[in-house]
Amino acid sequence: MPARKDIKKILIIGSGPIVIGQACEFDYSGNQAVRALKEEGYQVVLVNPNPATIMTTPGTADAIYLDPLEVNYLEQIIKIEKPDAVLPTMGGQTALNLTLDLHKAGILEKYGVEILGANIRAIELAEDRGLFKEVVASIGLNSAHSVLAHSVAEGMIFARENGLPLIIRPSFTLGGRGGSIASRWEDVEAYILRALEESPIHQTLIEESLLGWKEFEMEVMRDKADNAVIVCSIENVDPMGVHTGDSITVAPIQTLSDIEYQNMRTASIEILRKIGVDCGGSNVQFAVNPVDGRMIVIEMNPRVSRSSALASKATGFPIARCSAKLAVGYTLDEIINDITGKTVSCFEPSLDYVAVKVPRFEMEKFPRGYAELGTQMKSVGESLSIGRTFNEALNKAIRACEFGFSGLEDFAEVDEDTLELMLSTRHPRRIFGAYTALKRRGYGALTAISKKTGFDPWFLHNFWEQIELEQELTLHGGTKPLGSLLLMKAKRMGFADKRIAKLCGTNPAAIEAERNQLDIHASYHFVDTCSGEFEASTPYFYGTYGEINEALPMEGDGVIILASGPNRIGQGLEFDTCCTLSSMAYRKIGVKSVMVNSNPETVSTDFNVSDRLYIEPLTVEDVKELMLREGIKDVVVQLGGQTPLNMSEELEAWGAKIVGTPVLAIRAAEDRKLFSELITKLGLNQPPNRTIASLDNIQQMANEVGYPVLIRPSFVLGGRAMAIVYDDAELKDFLIRQKGLECSPERPILVDKFLEDAFEYDVDALCDTKNVYVAGIMQHIEAAGIHSGDSACVFPAYKSNPRIERQMLEATAKIAREIGVHGFLNIQFAVKDELLYVLEVNPRASRTVPFISKATGVNMVDAAVKSWRGQNLAKQGLIDSNKSGLDGVGLGSCITGWAVKEAVFSFDRFREVDPILGPEMKSTGEAIGLGASFGEAFSKAQAATGTILPIAGTAFITVNKHDRLAALPIVKNLVDLGFRISATKGTAEFLFKQGVFAEVVLKVHEGRPHIIDHMEHNRIDLIINTPLGRYTQRDDDYIRIEAVRRRIPYTTTISAAVAAVEGIRYLKGGEVTPRLLPSGTF
Amino acid sequence: MASLTYLVLQNGSVYQGQGFGAQAPLASELKQGLKTYAHTGEVVFNTAMSGYYEVLTDPSYTGQIVAMTYPHMGNYGTDFAWNESGPEGDRPDRKVKAAGFVVRSLYRGPVPEGRDTLDNYLLKNKIPGVSEIDTRKLTLELRSQGSLMGLVLRPAETDKGLSQDELKTVSAYLAAYPSMVGANLIADVGSPTALSELPSELARTEHPALALSQTDTNSVPKGLNVALYDCGAKANIIRELSAFGCKVSVYPSTAGAQDILAGGHDGVLVSNGPGDPAVLTHQIAAIKGLIGKIPLTGICLGHQLISLALGAQTYKMKFGHHGINHPVRDELSKKVFVTSQNHGFAVKEEQLPTDVKVWFRNANDQSIEGIISESRKIYTAQFHPESAPGPYDSLWIFGAFLRGMKKA
Ligand SMILES: Nc1ncnc2c1ncn2[C@@H]1O[C@H](COP(=O)(O)OP(=O)(O)O)[C@@H](O)[C@H]1O
Ligand SMILES: Nc1ncnc2c1ncn2[C@@H]1O[C@H](COP(=O)(O)OP(=O)(O)O)[C@@H](O)[C@H]1O
Ligand SMILES: [Mg+2]
Ligand SMILES: [Mg+2]
Repeated sequence: MPARKDIKKILIIGSGPIVIGQACEFDYSGNQAVRALKEEGYQVVLVNPNPATIMTTPGTADAIYLDPLEVNYLEQIIKIEKPDAVLPTMGGQTALNLTLDLHKAGILEKYGVEILGANIRAIELAEDRGLFKEVVASIGLNSAHSVLAHSVAEGMIFARENGLPLIIRPSFTLGGRGGSIASRWEDVEAYILRALEESPIHQTLIEESLLGWKEFEMEVMRDKADNAVIVCSIENVDPMGVHTGDSITVAPIQTLSDIEYQNMRTASIEILRKIGVDCGGSNVQFAVNPVDGRMIVIEMNPRVSRSSALASKATGFPIARCSAKLAVGYTLDEIINDITGKTVSCFEPSLDYVAVKVPRFEMEKFPRGYAELGTQMKSVGESLSIGRTFNEALNKAIRACEFGFSGLEDFAEVDEDTLELMLSTRHPRRIFGAYTALKRRGYGALTAISKKTGFDPWFLHNFWEQIELEQELTLHGGTKPLGSLLLMKAKRMGFADKRIAKLCGTNPAAIEAERNQLDIHASYHFVDTCSGEFEASTPYFYGTYGEINEALPMEGDGVIILASGPNRIGQGLEFDTCCTLSSMAYRKIGVKSVMVNSNPETVSTDFNVSDRLYIEPLTVEDVKELMLREGIKDVVVQLGGQTPLNMSEELEAWGAKIVGTPVLAIRAAEDRKLFSELITKLGLNQPPNRTIASLDNIQQMANEVGYPVLIRPSFVLGGRAMAIVYDDAELKDFLIRQKGLECSPERPILVDKFLEDAFEYDVDALCDTKNVYVAGIMQHIEAAGIHSGDSACVFPAYKSNPRIERQMLEATAKIAREIGVHGFLNIQFAVKDELLYVLEVNPRASRTVPFISKATGVNMVDAAVKSWRGQNLAKQGLIDSNKSGLDGVGLGSCITGWAVKEAVFSFDRFREVDPILGPEMKSTGEAIGLGASFGEAFSKAQAATGTILPIAGTAFITVNKHDRLAALPIVKNLVDLGFRISATKGTAEFLFKQGVFAEVVLKVHEGRPHIIDHMEHNRIDLIINTPLGRYTQRDDDYIRIEAVRRRIPYTTTISAAVAAVEGIRYLKGGEVTPRLLPSGTF
Repeated sequence: MASLTYLVLQNGSVYQGQGFGAQAPLASELKQGLKTYAHTGEVVFNTAMSGYYEVLTDPSYTGQIVAMTYPHMGNYGTDFAWNESGPEGDRPDRKVKAAGFVVRSLYRGPVPEGRDTLDNYLLKNKIPGVSEIDTRKLTLELRSQGSLMGLVLRPAETDKGLSQDELKTVSAYLAAYPSMVGANLIADVGSPTALSELPSELARTEHPALALSQTDTNSVPKGLNVALYDCGAKANIIRELSAFGCKVSVYPSTAGAQDILAGGHDGVLVSNGPGDPAVLTHQIAAIKGLIGKIPLTGICLGHQLISLALGAQTYKMKFGHHGINHPVRDELSKKVFVTSQNHGFAVKEEQLPTDVKVWFRNANDQSIEGIISESRKIYTAQFHPESAPGPYDSLWIFGAFLRGMKKA
């Protein structure tokens, strides 16, 4: 059936800011949906307050709103746009839940908006864990024995019957949020309570434990004619009990016989049928008992998901795109497969390779949160690698994940006790533990290790083959050449040169040299959905060794774009978006783009984005190999964050041509010492600092600079291992915590005077070596000392001194020209006592490029690409000396009134983590708010992060002595706005003296009822808390932890509190106003 | 233990790998001009990611070397319960029907209790396997050149590889080897005698769970008496018929129309089988004698034979359909489902009589996947509704067959 003609305009709801469990896979799906629907001639309205996304780039949808995903905003948007239908299945759990809310509020009915892609009944049946179990039972399939509890008491009855351990999973949450595994009686009640609180409908499932069973996932598509296909089957290497998002997974399924597989296949399709998913994709999860093969249904998600993005990349079957087409009336046999151009979409993909996903954890950032993995997802990103064998793919995926390993390795230094712990708990590095144990204990230990870890013997046997090869390499040693047989065998195992060198005790360069001499290079296969049965027309490649090469060089001018790899804190969607935009910009001007990335979640790994896509690890070796085959020299390293930038020197040395800013210039900005010299030379200020090449004299230097000091390593992103230290004792403490911190002449560390209470600014600029275009000066709402990625910021700068702004402009132009930047430049400034300091310069696109591009209506990436291809910034019309007041300098302006960016954290994933901010970045995403006033923009940005500012109630104030005076006007404003004030004793006394009455609330150690009791009883609506003793002593962390848990808005700085008051003032004004994103010159 | 082993194609391509299963022959051991069921045959690729055991034991693969496109094979071992060979009476024990097995990577680790490893299984059944082959390259070669004859062999000098002399011997041997076009292979498969009782392992009382959830099983007539014209039937065809409550009588492929008609059956199912259908003149004649006299159903080769008996023609496809992911459209309901396929020949549409309609069509290449004639009571499928390996999506077709047999 052709596409429906009775609907013209479709609303797509995005998933909002990136949080753990809901990341850029929904930019990928949403973007595909927008494009698929526009192709069919529909008008598309998009709502998503995430400025970093590709989908919100002007030109994608017909109308784009960056407003909060809240019912009141959506109602206004629906009123303005009058869409005929809404497609809620592209924006994850957020969009699905919002659509349910809109439905329940009668808004969809009121404005005649039809739901496409999933019906309300289907969503409820699938998402309500209780209803879902009934469906499963009605088909004759099994679920785990369980009870659906609405209260702790109800849950406890079951708990006592069933015994421990118990699996607790709340209804309607994403990424397993609020879920837990209770294995001690003292935890049970608290865990049930937490799950009930997290569930929007106050309901949780309490289940018998299937820990240790094998876990599988099926990605299913079904259309309204009841045609159904399995796009991809996935097996988890980690057994049940580790969330699939945190598990190492492999596609296709490896260890099921055909009969077992077909039973699972049939069951998945039957579940979709019964639930009523009849125009889209869903994911169904199963557990299989490793002993008797009993199959149990875990859950299904009636929408595109993280795993569907993974499945799309692993197979080449674009699930989201197809889902969108099905939603408007097509059937699967009417949709042609993009990759082959011949087969229809009801052809089940067949793989002739293995695709492995490895999750990435931020263990250093949330150390306490990672003691053990569980049913709640905790990873922040993932890598996907494809290889011809499981081992090859696994080794590539581990190395692609960029957490310090070049593949699966043994931990030689781990003692037996620790090793046992790694095997018998859900340790985030358990796979390394299993490998170590097998290598140490020998093949005979395989079964025992399998029993302990729940890893199927199939995986362990594959590990063993790798161990045998490692032993062969070690035995061979590095003194004589390996020879083509052994070397080829090692490369086919997926070993990096680095790993081979380590095993034979030589250096990677020697291995590389031998490979060159023997002409052993990677070859590339198509990812073609059909195992070679049909010719592929979409060039999507993965690398392997010793086999046919299908990636023949392209004709014409081409460029290689190195993307940013797996998402991590500090390097995520923003960078991927820049890479995607650059690919689009290159193609527009007729240059062939070749994208390299290992992140399956993103738009950049959509094989339609670039002329060619390589799903390969972002390491120098892997990149060189594919450049060799492509025969392209030009490589873009400025857009993918720190990952590609760190490769630039080696790539250039090898013969690549780095596009834009030369390598030496990059070094001048990245190397803290060279950079200090530069600043001095330009007559600019930098906080007093010392560069050290060895940790020995760190204390002396700290004292020379004078406490407090900030310690910053070079070549990092997201403020890794950065800390503010107030005295010698703290410095010692820091050095102990950061064991293994690198400090060498190549990687020096900077000891900076820490500027207390300084304002911070971010500047994004472009330079074509002569002209400088400053897109904007963004002012941080939090003071310096809170990482720029974690601080809210406002554009244009709010109430800042024009003289200082001009100084920033001048400094930016000077630095850009002096370094010789060609392309992007990001500078962080601090202002203290009316004096301007340069904190750091990044010679690459920054996190804020998508944000500032949207706010100014100028696509910076497009401008950079054009300037790299010879059209300077002046020719592009970006330089206006009159406006900037400086020769050869252009200045962007905000075309949206005010724009506020707010950071979004996933602290709620890590129960014990203090959500206090500092110089090390912790946020996982960001939201935007646009408005005619600062207050409007700020309140929207807040709402978009999920913390709705209150318009009445009680504000709880607890500020340190130092901040009290500054807090006074804020408190007075709150009183004027009708708020009741409560405060801790000291603060209350101070306020009383200043004529403000505040109810005294006890701290926890002061007796009861204390602050937590008040919060528990919903008697606190806003918290203004500046921590005592600044960043060091955190005796009030429990207040913030509780606030995160209960979603009570809180601010930890005075400037954020001022902004909150502005926001509240706007909200008190009445109805909210959505703002259409202007497209500027995009 | 693994040893250097080769796959050599008739066009001269040589693929080097490691042997497993039975030892491959030496060039000097080859006997020119003789048909063999081990080590030599038409090389076809199969895109199924699971079900290697069912593939290996499927009689339709007689005379073929199977190359699996999915790299890992042997992962979950082998289990006799999955065997796809039908009743074979006193034929010499040849449980593995494929002549050779070509894979990228063989799993040699432990398998679940009660199962045998693939390596051992092929060894016991005297079929050579070869792993570490660039099966992607092989697939692309077969895709562009069409199916080719080939041979799995080992070199005389294990450390040196194949010599020029050996290659010359092989090339002469392959040139003289009987081609698949015109190959009559069904004399070597299927039951040699008529059987009215089935071996117990082929009797089954239940269908796979949920496989028929969309089928009105009540309307499927019970207790039908079905004649299976066995040209190398897959076991699961028989198991499914018996699960539908049929009494199945097996007729050897040497039986004639009168033998079958004399049995007083409700209908006939012409089974799948190996080789070129066009040369099976005896069977075509037999089927001609059945048309109009008794309801006729057919699967794979059976579908081709019935079509030929109706006056249609068959042709050799370039590289055929071998996999479990092929979409087929039911032209009556317009529904599409995923099917298990294994055929190198197909029916041409042109010469089909006008009272016979195309029932099923491949949704990718539009080739004929089944025919139907209510007036002549003919119902066929080119694909394998019995799956094994493959999805259960088309199992309902057995119901349609049986309803067709019972229709007045
Ligand atoms: N009964 C159980 N026993 C052990 N582990 C379980 C059980 N149920 C779920 N899990 C684990 O919890 C994870 C999350 O559960 P799931 O229902 O899939 O939640 P989500 O909606 O977050 O994906 C699963 O991936 C699985 O590993
Ligand atoms: N001397 C300083 N005084 C006060 N704050 C500082 C100083 N140097 C850095 N910061 C703060 O630390 C944060 C991170 O430092 P930065 O050098 O920008 O690291 P990254 O490379 O991770 O962006 C900055 O955003 C700023 O808030
Ligand atoms: Mg799940
Ligand atoms: Mg910074």
